[in-house]
Amino acid sequence: MLEVKNMSKRFGGIRAVDDCSFTVRKGEITALIGPNGAGKTTAFNCISRTMAPTSGEVWLDGERIDGLRPHQITRRGLSRTFQISRNLADMTVLENVICQSRTEGWRDMFRPALSEAEIAKAMGILDFLGITRIAQEDGSNLSYGQKKLMDLAALLMSDPKIILLDEPAGGVNPTLLEEIVGHIRELNAKGLTVLIVEHNMELIMRLSDRVVVMAQGTVIAEGTPEEVRADPAVLDAYLGGVLEAEE
Amino acid sequence: MSNIGETSDILAQRKTYNAGLSQVSDKSRATWFPLLLLALLTALPALQLVGNYNYLIHLVLYTLCYVVMASGWNILGGYAGYISLGHNVFFAVGGYFAGMVFARLGISTIIIAPIAGLVAAALGYLIGLITLRVRGPSFIISSLALVMIFRIAFENWHFVGGAAGVSLQANDMDVQWAKLPYYYAFLAMAAFALWASYRIRHSKFGLGLRAISKDEVKAESAGIDTRFYKVLACAISAFFVGMAGAVWGEYLTYIRPNIFLVILISVNMVLMCILGGKGTVAGPALGAVLIVAFNEFFVATLGASAVNIMATGVIMAVALMFFPNGIIGTLAKHRKLPRILNWD
Repeated sequence: MLEVKNMSKRFGGIRAVDDCSFTVRKGEITALIGPNGAGKTTAFNCISRTMAPTSGEVWLDGERIDGLRPHQITRRGLSRTFQISRNLADMTVLENVICQSRTEGWRDMFRPALSEAEIAKAMGILDFLGITRIAQEDGSNLSYGQKKLMDLAALLMSDPKIILLDEPAGGVNPTLLEEIVGHIRELNAKGLTVLIVEHNMELIMRLSDRVVVMAQGTVIAEGTPEEVRADPAVLDAYLGGVLEAEE
Repeated sequence: MSNIGETSDILAQRKTYNAGLSQVSDKSRATWFPLLLLALLTALPALQLVGNYNYLIHLVLYTLCYVVMASGWNILGGYAGYISLGHNVFFAVGGYFAGMVFARLGISTIIIAPIAGLVAAALGYLIGLITLRVRGPSFIISSLALVMIFRIAFENWHFVGGAAGVSLQANDMDVQWAKLPYYYAFLAMAAFALWASYRIRHSKFGLGLRAISKDEVKAESAGIDTRFYKVLACAISAFFVGMAGAVWGEYLTYIRPNIFLVILISVNMVLMCILGGKGTVAGPALGAVLIVAFNEFFVATLGASAVNIMATGVIMAVALMFFPNGIIGTLAKHRKLPRILNWD
């Protein structure tokens, strides 16, 4: 479904992403993991075109998307969240969510911002995530966890085929974490493909179908959580260090 | 969702709740007030029948001109968050285009105004394509540079009279009625500008612009064509400023670089929006009324010296201490906005 081929991104002399290739299969939850500075977020940014990759190709459903602009990629069904929740202040949660609704062409631009159908759809999504009661809150007044949920709601508003989640569990309390995991599972069960960057190893092992491990900008292992867990290269580069630190 | 009866109950409740959400803003709006204002302003020139109110007519006309310009500026500066100090370029382009057509062909600028607006919009689109690539201070500086470029260009362009400009024929109506065509032109343009501003604010386009002003990266990744949105906002905003410029030239009976391309005019647009509340519909109008009123008041009491400008500045500073988001914006935030001023 999503295929990254030989992607590189350089910042001056630093190769943040170096000849990185991996695939995300349709209907699966794929996790992208790696130690700090491995280039995960940069890879994310290059896929969604928030940054331009220096070289390489990105294919979505047989279409090359690395030359497109971010909004075009979103319209083709690839939506992302940001590591640090980026919400729109002075706009209600409802407006924040509906902002991500699909618009095409001139006619859409000048129709009412919040149509009844969109409000119903947005409220349906907020309901699914259990946050209907904050619909009229200002997006910037939310707690950190609520912002993460709002991001997810906005994401779903664009009817994505694949979602890229950048650390959805970062800084979130354990109860909410379980909630978010449940939502991701449920969405995945409905056929949504997920690519997720995450530091919480326990979560990754539980949640993902496949794991891609990055270190120093390049992919060092790819496989099921069990395979990756047993891979000596991974243990060496990443798991050992992190598990020691976490436990 | 345990049993079906309960579920349909919840669904019904939810439907009413959702319907309520789309009406939240409507309930607190008093549409009659702007309409009443429009009716009063339409009737105002009748005062000329009972006395000489030329000065009052001039002041209202002058304010309306700024309502058009500030509302136009607000579309780019308020909604999209791109502060431009170069919008008087569009004022000049509209003024010169209509003024030259009037001087050469004798077609009234009031008829030409919409076309002059479109010319300014086309220029706004082109300029936007270049300058809207940068934001924040860089954009402000590039907009200032624009004013300098156009000032030099117009001062040295012989076809339009260079620095001396071109004088335009005054109309041959009685002095008592001579201002009225322009008065009504500005009134119509101000009403149109406010209506358009309202429509844009409530459209997908307006929502997109507001998203751009808050976080452009997020807006783009939300699926908004940010580049096109902001360039279009620049064009629409230039359209209104250009239209105002078109009629302003004929009203003054001359066009000259130093009536259009002085920084004070664009600063006024910005200050009006900031004082009234940038990004709101009523803000620029309220700001225009207040700033013109302050200026007049201080010119009348303190004389036309630097002191009156300083006094206006002090009032501005004090107002912004108490109304950091502009008068309309701050009142709305604290839910204290009188219904008659809620035009959003």
